Amino acid sequence: MSTDFYEFFCPVKVIAGNAALEHIPFELASLGASKPLIVTDKGVRGAGLVDYVLTACDESELKVVDIFDDVPPDSSKEVVTQIAKLYRKKKCDSIIAIGGGSVIDTSKGVNILVSEGGDDIGAYAGAGNLKRALKPFFVVPTTAGTGSEVTAVAVISDTEKGVKLPFASPFLLPNAAVIDPRMTLTLPAHITAMTAMDAMTHAVEAFTCLAKNPISDAYALAAVRKISENLLNVMDNPKDKAGRLELAQASTMAGIAFSNSMCGMVHSLGHSAGATCHLPHGLCMNLFLPYVLEYNLDNIRPQLEELLIALGGADIYASTPADKRAEKSIELIKHMRDELYKRCKLPRTLKETGKVEKIQLSKIADMTLDDGSIMFNPREVKYEDARAVLDAAWA
Amino acid sequence: MALIPSVSTAKRLYVETMMNVIGRALQAISQVDVAIKKEVNVLPDDFSFQMKVMPNGPSFTVKKKPNGELEFLGSNPEQTPDLSIAFKHLTHAFMVLSFQESTSIAFAHDRMLVDGDISYALRVTRILNRLESFILPKLLAERAVKEYPSSIKLPEKLLHGARIYFQMASNLVTVN
Repeated sequence: MSTDFYEFFCPVKVIAGNAALEHIPFELASLGASKPLIVTDKGVRGAGLVDYVLTACDESELKVVDIFDDVPPDSSKEVVTQIAKLYRKKKCDSIIAIGGGSVIDTSKGVNILVSEGGDDIGAYAGAGNLKRALKPFFVVPTTAGTGSEVTAVAVISDTEKGVKLPFASPFLLPNAAVIDPRMTLTLPAHITAMTAMDAMTHAVEAFTCLAKNPISDAYALAAVRKISENLLNVMDNPKDKAGRLELAQASTMAGIAFSNSMCGMVHSLGHSAGATCHLPHGLCMNLFLPYVLEYNLDNIRPQLEELLIALGGADIYASTPADKRAEKSIELIKHMRDELYKRCKLPRTLKETGKVEKIQLSKIADMTLDDGSIMFNPREVKYEDARAVLDAAWA
Repeated sequence: MALIPSVSTAKRLYVETMMNVIGRALQAISQVDVAIKKEVNVLPDDFSFQMKVMPNGPSFTVKKKPNGELEFLGSNPEQTPDLSIAFKHLTHAFMVLSFQESTSIAFAHDRMLVDGDISYALRVTRILNRLESFILPKLLAERAVKEYPSSIKLPEKLLHGARIYFQMASNLVTVN
């Protein structure tokens, strides 16, 4: 682990708390924008979440030009082109994304096309291909997990070629992330659990992998503390507005942490298992997190010891012998998974998902070695190591 | 007074020399090592990989031949490489090539830019790590790679390292 050099970057204005949505009109106006296009999906609109934003804009005499509410669960090139056409036709001047990871990534793609021109988002794929600021872009997350509102990347599927196009540029970052507790109040229990474990994994990997740094550490520790203190309460009291806000903030903080210090093997396994067995990303994080920590244990013992105070609080930290604190941190993460399983049957093992065949594990292990996140894992992962972790996570 | 300090010239010379050695050693190891042959086989034919220092510093390129071996192309690639790993500064290249900073830490420190398929970049990094584990003394190799492979024992290291150096020499003689 080395922190003798690091870079940290997050220019996103975070607008969080009660009545946060009502700040959107002022913030848009301050960027010279007055004709926003809302990008969302049917689920979010059906849950009435877009109405909060419409009301907030209307009360401030800001007219939303149009709403595109048909973003699919996986962002695709075609949808990006379709929305860009709508934006141009309606002469919009800004974008408000309201949704989860797919809506946010789609909107990042739309912003590239409407700012840079053209109809083929594929022309901008890769790292560093954008050279100037894009149109005003606000993100209102409706899940508390992906952290996409503060990451400088997007993934958009090219369905014709059957590949996923990655985009990376600081210009993809939105001007503002608006975190309002109303937006996650109606999130179903299993989505709340999955997305929170996604955020938890972002924070834990940011804190334990090779590119960790003092600033991302601060965000990661705070995120772990907020999730540990609030997740089970929110599961028991879904309408707990304050708890929802804590989880939403934790997700954004974990996003800031991992976008500056990268993730490790949990994400590599998760990307591979997700692609092979079509498992949701947050679920994969929940499946693999403790087993990867056990695998990395000898290399990350001091970090796991430090995490205990955020995971368990001062009393547990003080009452645990110093040489057992790292193991205790892993035990607490396992305990949290057990509690989530009790409340919403969130699978803890590959077998419990009912969607994975043991024969698929060797393919997942192979793919894991070629996933970008593996570079930042503290241990050098070989095929046998990936396979052993998968076997541990099997049942 | 000289505008370019002599230390910069020495650094540049060292990086140039090391890039030359590593490029030639990659060609040699792809001819003698079974594990590397397996890694290289996955790359498409004519796939080319370049390591360079930005903006116009030392570089080397290797290409995968249809027979599965890597070919050292020196510092002048025939075409735009399929994969490029570029050090942002000469000093960053010097730190990695003098084994003060491992490749994975250099990535974590954002010293390098990858242009191309990231899965191929990981594969090439594994190839470079295995190469360094054989051709460098263990003490240096431990600083160059994330984890020195426990499977490489001293007799195998000596024998294999010697074969790689011998192959490099043979290739040089053949070319000249």
